[in-house]
Amino acid sequence: MADVRLQGVSKAFDEVTVIPALDLEIADTEFVVLVGPSGCGKTTTLRMIAGLEAASGGTITIGARDVTELRPGLRNCAMVFQNYALYPHMTVADNIGYGMKVRRMPKAEIEARIAEAARILGLEPYLQRRPKQLSGGQRQRVAIGRAIVRQPDVFLFDEPLSNLDAKLRIEMRTEIKSLHRRLNSTMVYVTHDQVEAMTMADRVVVMNEGRIEQAADPITLYERPANTFVAAFIGAPSMNFVPAQVTAKGEGLALRLEDGSELAIPPERWERYGLYKDRAVTFGIRPEHNAGGDTGAAVIRMTARTIEPLGPHTLIIGEAAGRGYTAQVDSHFPAAPDEMVPISLDMSKMHIFDPETGSCI
Amino acid sequence: MMRRPLVFGLCLFWALVTLFPLYWTLVTSLKPPTAVNGGPTYLPFIDFVPTLQAYRDAFSGIRGDFIAPFVNSSLISITATALAVLFGTMAAYALVRFEFRVRLLSGLIFAAVAIGGFVLFNEALGYSRAEAMGLAFAVSLPACLLANRLPLPGPVLGNNDVLFWFVSQRMFPPIVTAFALFLLYSEIGREGFKLLDSFLGMVLCYTAFSIPIVVWLMRDFLAALPVEIEEAALVDDVPRIRIFFEIVLPMARPGLIATSLITLAFIWNEFLFALLLTTSEWQTLPILLSGQNSYRGDEWWAISVAALFGIAPMMVVAMLLAKLMRSGLTLGGIR
Ligand SMILES: Nc1ncnc2c1ncn2[C@@H]1O[C@H](COP(=O)(O)OP(=O)(O)O)[C@@H](O)[C@H]1O
Ligand SMILES: [Mg+2]
Repeated sequence: MADVRLQGVSKAFDEVTVIPALDLEIADTEFVVLVGPSGCGKTTTLRMIAGLEAASGGTITIGARDVTELRPGLRNCAMVFQNYALYPHMTVADNIGYGMKVRRMPKAEIEARIAEAARILGLEPYLQRRPKQLSGGQRQRVAIGRAIVRQPDVFLFDEPLSNLDAKLRIEMRTEIKSLHRRLNSTMVYVTHDQVEAMTMADRVVVMNEGRIEQAADPITLYERPANTFVAAFIGAPSMNFVPAQVTAKGEGLALRLEDGSELAIPPERWERYGLYKDRAVTFGIRPEHNAGGDTGAAVIRMTARTIEPLGPHTLIIGEAAGRGYTAQVDSHFPAAPDEMVPISLDMSKMHIFDPETGSCI
Repeated sequence: MMRRPLVFGLCLFWALVTLFPLYWTLVTSLKPPTAVNGGPTYLPFIDFVPTLQAYRDAFSGIRGDFIAPFVNSSLISITATALAVLFGTMAAYALVRFEFRVRLLSGLIFAAVAIGGFVLFNEALGYSRAEAMGLAFAVSLPACLLANRLPLPGPVLGNNDVLFWFVSQRMFPPIVTAFALFLLYSEIGREGFKLLDSFLGMVLCYTAFSIPIVVWLMRDFLAALPVEIEEAALVDDVPRIRIFFEIVLPMARPGLIATSLITLAFIWNEFLFALLLTTSEWQTLPILLSGQNSYRGDEWWAISVAALFGIAPMMVVAMLLAKLMRSGLTLGGIR
């Protein structure tokens, strides 16, 4: 059990800087998920913690130890890879026990730990099989078993579920989460899937181009995204962004969109947005904070292009104020493609962002 | 519709062309002298009465010792193959998994110090040639390793250059190496350490001569292995040497088998080195075969038997290779 600290850790491959100085503190027993689009440096960060990639700068500490210069084997991490990385010529039991055998642990202890891991992961019937004879989910379980028996300070997962089918992925999600509760150890988990990140994490670290855009618990990330990148990345379907201007309206404020429609800003936000009066901003609102009809306080008209009935609700995808716009409405709300539909916005859930920097205002 | 029979016919024709010499050798080995000397005969029992006399002669030793060269060839080629595959695979693994940076200048320093040192020790200080060679090497190797750590100017060679260097050793005519090796061996022999016409000498030269091919072949096999499996072991604190022997080699088994068979065939058939470096005791089968014709006259039945001795093991090797290719030489099963 240990905390992990990255201080000014950077990585360059040859001349290309992939990760500029990055600071991240992961508390003891915390489940942290690194999430971001493909190529943003999640794997590289994880591999630097594991020691498989040398940091170009900065220091990495695990617990009280500075491990920056330590080889992977001495860092007491366990890593689970996307493509399982099992030893193909060994049985499941040998796969799980190999590391302990190499470290010359007593035979009885090895067998006890294999048995315990197999019990936790439901692998008991498969202990004598080869990886080839297992399904993807079972293989990943073996890889996790290999990590558990290490009794590491930190667990590192690199997209462990992305090779599994959707149903299995959801099952394994809960399983890894309950494993975290049971082992009560520090886990760093990498994924490009924001749903996986939100459902599993104590804290989500959203990365983009090697930088941390925001690190927060899932609800904070959803409700108070720090910038347009996080706002767009977290939540599905993605948040709508519409250019707007903050204007005075009576004694309060309103947003004027490019199509001329005006949306009243709720009074509790007046003070916060006061400084931005008469300035251009990016208005953001999530699809689920819309409703069909013109009964609300703030109404826009959108042109529907596609109607996607999902069962519990329906998505209308089209344009509003000249921008792509998605609204989530009641399943029975009447709408047809290429029609104008009135949409009511829940302005208490609105966001505005600086159009230049993208930061939340 | 017309193409298939045509292609089949051509294949059949080619199969006959390649198989006929084997058949011819086989039937000739069964012929009595009369069936050879009286013009061509093709079919046993019809054209001539087959006899095992040639085989009996071979085993009784009246036509020269067949058994010793066969045993020599087997011992030498199996040992040298095992060593070449072991060391060549290690080198290939290093080239695949680690990045090497060799300064060209440090290589030149090695050559200069080695040659200069030899001249100095031998001519000026009066050491014998073999001693001078050893001393020059003992000085030049550390000098070159040290030089490689200094920020010397000039090109820096990478892994591909190292690989090319390995392969290039097979590019210049073997006769050059063979003569040099002969001189080296006789020089060392003069110091009382016998390498000419010895098991050790033959194994050493065949191992050295085969390593480039092994490196070349194994590099591709090893490069195709997923690196994550080894990384998982690294994170688990498995030492690199155990990763190599207990994880990499088992995964590379198809490649190891194929490479071993190819190397074995190379060494088994090698003629030039054996001709120059052996005289009697450790003569190999190709030398014996080449001698058959000259000192016994045209006794084709006996020559055929000798040829079959040489061919048979390689036919087994070829069949094993073919089976391996059919079952997919590649990494089936590894994922
Ligand atoms: N060994 C490498 N050599 C050069 N560039 C690399 C290497 N590994 C990763 N990169 C680059 O670093 C960036 C981040 O990669 P990675 O950490 O794998 O992203 P992610 O896991 O978030 O998809 C990518 O642009 C990738 O091309
Ligand atoms: Mg990745």
